[in-house]
Amino acid sequence: MALGLRWSGSGAFFATEIRVQFHEWLAIVTGTLTPGALIVFVAILAADLLPVTLIGALVYSMFLIGQRVLNEAAYIRIDHKLNELYHASPLSPEGYFVGIAGGMLVAYLPPSLVVLGILELIHPLGLVAGLTLAVCLLAVWAVSSTIGYVVSTLFKDMKTIWPYSALLTNLFGILPPVFYPLSKVPIEWRSLVLIVPTSAAAILVNAAAGLEPVTRQEGTVAAVALAAEAVILFVFGIYWARRMARER
Amino acid sequence: MATDVQLRSQPQRGRVLPAWAWIGWRWVWRSPAAAIVPLLQPFFFLYFLSVIAPPKYFPLQVAGAMLFSTQNIGSWCLSDSAVFRIELRLQDIFVASPHDKVRYLFGVAFSNLIPAMPALVVLGVILANVTYVSLGGWLVLIGCILTIWILYSAIGIAVSTRLRSQREVWPVGNLLFTLLGILSPLYYPISILPPVWGGVARLLPATYAALLVQGALGLGGPANLAVDGGLLVLSTAVGLAAAWGLYEWRER
Repeated sequence: MALGLRWSGSGAFFATEIRVQFHEWLAIVTGTLTPGALIVFVAILAADLLPVTLIGALVYSMFLIGQRVLNEAAYIRIDHKLNELYHASPLSPEGYFVGIAGGMLVAYLPPSLVVLGILELIHPLGLVAGLTLAVCLLAVWAVSSTIGYVVSTLFKDMKTIWPYSALLTNLFGILPPVFYPLSKVPIEWRSLVLIVPTSAAAILVNAAAGLEPVTRQEGTVAAVALAAEAVILFVFGIYWARRMARER
Repeated sequence: MATDVQLRSQPQRGRVLPAWAWIGWRWVWRSPAAAIVPLLQPFFFLYFLSVIAPPKYFPLQVAGAMLFSTQNIGSWCLSDSAVFRIELRLQDIFVASPHDKVRYLFGVAFSNLIPAMPALVVLGVILANVTYVSLGGWLVLIGCILTIWILYSAIGIAVSTRLRSQREVWPVGNLLFTLLGILSPLYYPISILPPVWGGVARLLPATYAALLVQGALGLGGPANLAVDGGLLVLSTAVGLAAAWGLYEWRER
């Protein structure tokens, strides 16, 4: 077992989560509304930024999956009280965390594929850009799933969680240059947005797609920051899942 | 039955409003994020719009943000009343109390107006700094905010009475209020919308509130305030009647 990881029950729980989420089609549809609204704003007010905004919508949708993990994990623990039952079963804690995060990823992928289709129509991506997009989206998913899961374990009622969920999506999705280009950010703020995972991902994909060039230094900082955050946070998520599985 | 008892000594009208205001304040006080998020939410959108849109639209967008924030109170009302009914089972107690369903609706709306007030005040200060607003303009803006508050709170609470699980709260609230917020031209003049969209937008009360405010502040080109005002009242009345029809006070 690499790193002592245990994956018992992961497959069954992953499949269960996918099935559960596909029954929540309304949540899947409504997850597209905020990025949809921003795409609409851009289409009306600054149509030339549309390809950048569509890439931003893909990154934002991936980050939103983490917020759905937050809601789902909190719902299982607080509302259904199923958490303890799962942890008493052969399902491993890491299987529980990765199962929720993976189930969400699969269930929430279809709307992103629609956005990707629109992007392909107005700005086709090459092989390198496509690969960069896939890797960056997976990194954002790892970061946001961990944040969502960890935050979900810190609260005792659902009502308290919703504002934090909204705050996180706005802080990571709307404020940094995810839906708009890096060039719109004042110079003094650029170093900061390069290390924010969502904007780092959007900046890297925009550069790979030829939408907005970045310097070698900016590209390196964004890539290293995103990779480090994804790996460190995902490992922390697994550690946290194990810690939460113990009786307190 | 508890409801058959004449409780004349209990508050019958109006006096429970401060209690609802207290609930709204306590919610803000006990949950810092609940206080910060409603305050910040319109500014996130405003920031984004200020980055991508021509600067000439900024005053219009600030006024639009005030209406959007007010409209969002409906989403919080939906969430609150769903939690009261589904999780806390409080609605049964309200049903059995002298608190009738109109006062319950108004109380939930009032308690949710409290967390929104700081954002509305700050947006009002920004608006006064970016454009001239006459006394008439302020009165029209406040009137529209109150109309939208009542209507969308009623819609939120009415819809919440039809939800069966807390799981439905987020998607239904998001779907309803984000969609309504996008369709109405709160952040841009209606004249730049595609014709079909503009036609759909004219079915929504928030559109007439936006047109009325933009007209009163001189921000959205030529306006007919009397017609827009009349259509705002008419569409609000239709919306309230629909909410009343949907509103389920007693469990079946």
